[in-house]
Amino acid sequence: MSSDSEIPQQCEHLQDELSELALGTLYGRSRAEVLAHVESCSRCAATLERLSVVADSLLQLAPEIEPPLGFELRLAERLHASAIAHRPGRFRRIGTLSAAAVIMVVLGFGLGTWATPSDVNRPAQSVTSHLTSAHLTAHGRVLGEVMVSAGTPAWMLMTISESPWSGRVLCEVTLAGGKVESIGAFTLSGGYGAWGAPLTAPASEVRSARLVAPNGTVLATAQLSV
Amino acid sequence: MISLRSSAVLLRMRRVRTPYEDDISDEVLLAGMAIGDDRAALAFMRRYQHRLFGLAMGIVGDLALAEDVAQEAFIRIFRHASVFDARRGSVATWTLTITRNLAIDALRLRGDTPTDPDDQVFLGLLSANRKPEDAAVAEDSLDRIRVALRSLPIQQRRAVLLAAMYGRTAQEIAVAEDIPLGTAKSRIRLGMDKLRESVVIEEDQ
Repeated sequence: MSSDSEIPQQCEHLQDELSELALGTLYGRSRAEVLAHVESCSRCAATLERLSVVADSLLQLAPEIEPPLGFELRLAERLHASAIAHRPGRFRRIGTLSAAAVIMVVLGFGLGTWATPSDVNRPAQSVTSHLTSAHLTAHGRVLGEVMVSAGTPAWMLMTISESPWSGRVLCEVTLAGGKVESIGAFTLSGGYGAWGAPLTAPASEVRSARLVAPNGTVLATAQLSV
Repeated sequence: MISLRSSAVLLRMRRVRTPYEDDISDEVLLAGMAIGDDRAALAFMRRYQHRLFGLAMGIVGDLALAEDVAQEAFIRIFRHASVFDARRGSVATWTLTITRNLAIDALRLRGDTPTDPDDQVFLGLLSANRKPEDAAVAEDSLDRIRVALRSLPIQQRRAVLLAAMYGRTAQEIAVAEDIPLGTAKSRIRLGMDKLRESVVIEEDQ
């Protein structure tokens, strides 16, 4: 452990490398050395965070340019070829869970609950073990996906892509014991929608979710076994 | 990974406006792509194609190669949408970093010398809407950094842009600029420190 008088000297010694680390151009032993130092030095960690903001912003300064005519068409063709080449056999199951992980992360981020500036450089943590997902169905037809995150608070998120209905819909959950709670409302447009909300009850209490029309008609349901 | 049913699907949707296009966050679009939602992919592509192509063009300086880079970037993004981690940064940063790295790889594969960051497209980046003396009225963080970047001594700006945009290490910059390694490192650090001050000023206001 370094003494107090040595810390500023070590910090000063690594200032060049902090900038290079933020820019993504530091490799090998130097990179490992700086990362180890930042782990135990809040001052340099704060500096690195701001330098990282600068490095990220530099990329965003690049001017927007209209791609050549036909860009979308050519990309669609490449995507199609790529999708065929990379289609895994168990895509649906794995893909759904992965998507759930993304939604958990992104809605938390979007609502400002997870990704505070100090979180930016923190190592990624697996969230998939806390997720449960299920199809949202109506008359045996899959309309979308529902996901529940067992965090504090728990979250419910859904993506609907095949709904025959449009307009305002309510989301209700049925808890263990049969109690029904309304957790919010959102709008489906053209059969599509993506939405999420925190749950007041623990995720382990949630048994099912359903979409309800304003007139009380149940439009779709999802059975969850958390 | 996204699973597109066919290119015809995308083509049919070219004239379809989806609720994704305007009101849905980047993160939700990525989530939609991760579960194979074609419309989310289309909306994402439309939202980002100018930025990705602009960055690619800025780095490689060649229309055909820039398109190739931007399209490959979209394919990578669609394929890896499910592993995006918002705690590590924004969607914009993630997508632009993918594009930058592909552009650098493309240049290296072709054995080209990177575009001079003070020339061509990046001249537009630096010819900001505001002059340095107008920094006090800059409206957002990007404006502030753009103004600060423009205010840097040219040698520091070149060093910072060579690293940020072209992935050049200090050693590579030293060779390219024919300067000692220590000088290259100092230029990067001094430039980044001044840009960092613009971020600090914004946060403290």
